Amino acid sequence: MIQQNYPIRLTQIGLVSVVDCSIGAIIQFGDRAEGTPKLNALAVQRAIDHTKAGSVYFESYEIFNRPLPKLIDPVADAGEDVSIRRFNHCPRINVGCIYVTAVGSTASLLAGNAMRTTAESRIKHIRQYEKTLINVT
Amino acid sequence: MVNFTVHNCGLTVGTIEILGVSAASMFQIGDSDYVTLYSMFDTPPESVIAGPIAPLPVPEGEADAVGEAPMAG
Repeated sequence: MIQQNYPIRLTQIGLVSVVDCSIGAIIQFGDRAEGTPKLNALAVQRAIDHTKAGSVYFESYEIFNRPLPKLIDPVADAGEDVSIRRFNHCPRINVGCIYVTAVGSTASLLAGNAMRTTAESRIKHIRQYEKTLINVT
Repeated sequence: MVNFTVHNCGLTVGTIEILGVSAASMFQIGDSDYVTLYSMFDTPPESVIAGPIAPLPVPEGEADAVGEAPMAG
């Protein structure tokens, strides 16, 4: 349970410098109600060329089907665990300069307010050698 | 029931420098009600060495090392 005390806070930034924003990343200036970015990625390192080595499939790896961990807490589900009251005495957050080199993999850079953010990233890193290391019979 | 009261007074920051925001991470200047971040990452153990092992010598004072497995042999 959250009690928001008005006025809500504004964000004032002098300068934002971002070099790279990639693979499902979000950069947002302004307010957001709900954000649910999701990413499934297979990071493949191969000894042979991608054009000759064929495809890889998400279905082959359990990490992409694994259920998300769930908090089992009936008190929290009923909204009776924590009561938060916020008092914004100063309606402003001031930041001079922000330098970010990279934002990636469902990460988010947000200048503003948000209600709910649920980000999810699943990355499976595999290596494929030219010859198999174990004897497959 | 926990009663949590927050007083947001003035907040001013000079410079922020970040190398990377990655894998379901979040960098926010502002207020949030609920944040849930899931990240799963699976990588092969870095100890897998497919090629020849670099011929490194035994470190100095190796025989006197306490609590470590012997390097030689």
